[in-house]
Amino acid sequence: MTNHPPRWADRFLEWYCNPDLLEDLQGDLYEMYEHKVDEGKPRLARWYFIWCVLRSLRPAVINQNSKLKNSTFMMTRNNFKIAFRVLWRDKFNSILNLAGLAIGITCFFLMGFYVKQELSFDQFHSKKDKIYRVWLKEVYGEDQIFFNSSTPIIFEKVLEENFGEIETVMQYNKRSYLVGEGDDRYNENVGIISPEFFKVFDFELVRGNTTNPLQSRNNIVLSESYARKYFGDKDPIGRSLAIQIGEEVREFNVSAVFADIRKESSIQVDMAISNENNIDIYGERALTAWFNVNQETYVLVKENAGIKTVEAGIPTVVMSYLKGRVDEGVYNIGFQPLTDIHLNPEIPVGMEPIGNPRYVSILAIISILVLVTAGVNYATLSIGQSLKRSKEVGVRKVMGALKSSLINQYLSESVIITFFAVIIGIFLTHLTLPIFNELTGADVNLAFESWHLLLYAGLVMLIGIASGIYPALVLSRLRVISILKGNSQSNSKHNIQKAMVVFQFVITVFLISTTLIMRKQLDFIQTKDIGVNYTATVSVPLYQSASANSLSTAISTAMEKGEVLKEKLKQYGDIDDIGMGTHVFGTDGWANLAYTDNTETFRRFNLLAVDPYYLNTFGITVIEGRVFDSESGLDKRQSIIVNQAAVDYFGIVDPIGKQLPGNDFGDHAIIGVTHNFNYSSLHSEVEPLIITQNITPIFQGISDNGFGDSPIPKLVFRYSGAQLSKVKDILESEWENIFPEEELNFSFVEENMKFQYESENRMNRLVTVSTLLSIIIAGLGLLGLTVLVINSRIKEIGIRKVIGASGFSIFRLLAGSFAPQLIIGIALSIPITYWLMNDWLNDFAYRIDLSIDMFVLGGLISITIALLAISFHTIKATMINPVESIKTE
Amino acid sequence: MKRTHIGELEELVLLTVGSLYEQAYAVVILEVIKDQTGRKLDVTAIHSVLRRLEGKGFIASSMGGATQERGGRRKKFFVLSQAGRQVLDEIMEVRSALYNKMPKLTFAGFSI
Repeated sequence: MTNHPPRWADRFLEWYCNPDLLEDLQGDLYEMYEHKVDEGKPRLARWYFIWCVLRSLRPAVINQNSKLKNSTFMMTRNNFKIAFRVLWRDKFNSILNLAGLAIGITCFFLMGFYVKQELSFDQFHSKKDKIYRVWLKEVYGEDQIFFNSSTPIIFEKVLEENFGEIETVMQYNKRSYLVGEGDDRYNENVGIISPEFFKVFDFELVRGNTTNPLQSRNNIVLSESYARKYFGDKDPIGRSLAIQIGEEVREFNVSAVFADIRKESSIQVDMAISNENNIDIYGERALTAWFNVNQETYVLVKENAGIKTVEAGIPTVVMSYLKGRVDEGVYNIGFQPLTDIHLNPEIPVGMEPIGNPRYVSILAIISILVLVTAGVNYATLSIGQSLKRSKEVGVRKVMGALKSSLINQYLSESVIITFFAVIIGIFLTHLTLPIFNELTGADVNLAFESWHLLLYAGLVMLIGIASGIYPALVLSRLRVISILKGNSQSNSKHNIQKAMVVFQFVITVFLISTTLIMRKQLDFIQTKDIGVNYTATVSVPLYQSASANSLSTAISTAMEKGEVLKEKLKQYGDIDDIGMGTHVFGTDGWANLAYTDNTETFRRFNLLAVDPYYLNTFGITVIEGRVFDSESGLDKRQSIIVNQAAVDYFGIVDPIGKQLPGNDFGDHAIIGVTHNFNYSSLHSEVEPLIITQNITPIFQGISDNGFGDSPIPKLVFRYSGAQLSKVKDILESEWENIFPEEELNFSFVEENMKFQYESENRMNRLVTVSTLLSIIIAGLGLLGLTVLVINSRIKEIGIRKVIGASGFSIFRLLAGSFAPQLIIGIALSIPITYWLMNDWLNDFAYRIDLSIDMFVLGGLISITIALLAISFHTIKATMINPVESIKTE
Repeated sequence: MKRTHIGELEELVLLTVGSLYEQAYAVVILEVIKDQTGRKLDVTAIHSVLRRLEGKGFIASSMGGATQERGGRRKKFFVLSQAGRQVLDEIMEVRSALYNKMPKLTFAGFSI
């Protein structure tokens, strides 16, 4: 033939087709093909030929094919048929196997999808490999390092102008503003972004001007949910939205709407305006400042350029701008890949919280361990069953079965079991996901994606083969002679089986003790007396006056407003101890100030500005000197109270009446020293703290400041009423009268305290879930194993009973056969647990010591569970009438 | 005789085989059906219908002589069997009987 149809399709047809039908069928297809080629449609002809070959692939055409009849296809079908029968015959064991695997797989999926979510942060950007976030590290000396992932505004210009390798520089910041008009004013985090934002990142613009949304400085873009929040079902494009920036209320024009940003993004923004507005927001000086950090800067590197050349060029460029102002090596700029942001704790956290890579890897390991336990469980149980099936193997071998076909037979069984287990697992995962999310606060979202199918299929093959291969090898290796003679198998094989049981115990005991230790540490830090009384204390953030242009006026105007609220709240009998302060317990990041003292030592301390009642609210007392006197004008102006840590840090002897060791501070005097109460989470020690009513004298003497928590004052009070929900009603009605323009936020200090350990708590809950599941798996495994052990020793039990053994002694005999494995398992798990948990505990400044009792408890729990699982069938076995078991042969 | 059910496409193919008399093979049948009814079928569909009809005993097949054009493959020709002819007759009978019972002018909601 001059023009041949696709050869592979032709060969495929010849391979599968019934030879009786082949000639005519192939001829017809050739004829159709030639016909179409003659019509001048060779492409169509090829497709049609392939299509017809595939369409002809039906039972009637294949069935008679002798080539296929004896091949693996038919054997597989046969294997599966037999596998089903075997599984059906021994329902109890099959269900145990199935349940164990399904639970393991469910656990693997739940943990796995959580881990996957953590790992997939920022992976959805098509240019992710070319996008970097800029960090700034100023190094002035050993202790004087300022490391930030927020950067000066000028970076945008500097990087753009000096580096040809960089395609786009983009900045992003978020600030809190009052948005909306009249009653619908909300405090919102408004993004301030470079107009190129949407070109660099793959955030999808769905409506409005999708090519250049932030054309003018008066444009604003909204996320879909925020468009709904402010405009309901109306088309938001072209409408205006008021934002109060400083004292001015400006109207912004909605130019575009973008799809809500997914959870797996390190950039979270719901409304954004152009950074053309920077001059209004930060003032003119900030635009050229080099030591004023507030922006996250991102660079998009050109297609064929690398970040290395940019990094190499940085020092020269920096020095060309800052010559004479800083020494070389002081002002360092670096780049962090976008996809690295979420799980890299080395670089300071930016606008959004990041994950803990250690937790992610621990969870990944645990999820795999649980899966492995389930697989091992299956293997142990199936080897145990080999006793029952040795005759089957013997007969098959006598009939001439090859070793490989026996292996295939047993692998088919495990693949079938795994297949159903995966299906049940998928089902359970979707069913339990809402509970899992609620329990752990993990917020995993399980939208189906096509690669999941591949994962599921891969899991079936992997687990099926991995957990089936050992039993298959053991079974196929049995010797015909010894089987048919009726000998039970040699004992050497049991060693591996025992090792598997030990392995399972190691993991289970490890998980149990880990859970217990974590629980204990979390209880410890959450109930530790931090030295302040915060029960039933409410914190209400106040607002500065719009005209406040410095921190001290911001604080004082907010406190003035607080006074008004305070007067109103005083009339309620249930509200006592009203005070105000810039920071409240339960939030980290209290104002951190630094200066160089008169001995040229760089000093850092934290600052808390309060009214005279704040210390009373939290029951903070002095160990020396006195607290603030509300009547004293001197106290209001210049008195400070320091904590014991500050006294030690500054080395002040006999502190009352003394000053801080610095040259530039305004008039101030220490009037009291408090004990070291913990004001940040117990991950860190108590740092030096200075408490004052007037920040001005202190601010005069410092060179650097940093705020992790907003320093705008909060009003705090203790609520002694029975119903905590009434607080909300009281606050809402009073707030509405006094500050109709502002949004009310309030929180209970106790809850904030708990929230500080949220990620540890979540981790603990995740581990607890895995532990429970692995306990169930191990329990099921033991249950199955006991049945097998009892079955193989049923005659022995009968004879023992006849001779006069009591039920208890038989129970002890059977339970005792598991004891060595259990004890080895517990012993092995201790060092692993100790090593991992010690590492985890080192994250806390205040930690429990690992003591033997936690391992004993973990061991006891696992022994109890093991005994329960064993006794279920053992007790039944001891009650069997010995006549029944002995008479059978 | 056991009545064998016969489908619409089967009937069409059977009729075509009958009408082509000794010249019927899959590709030709396909073309005739396309010309007569405008139905575009797949050649594999014709194959499976032919196999079914042969299985029911309505047609018989024989291999033709070798040809140049189809890569040297022989054609499989089909002819109507006694049973096939009978089935077609019965179907035609039933249809014409019913057709003749119908008044000359009939359409929805109207009869004369």
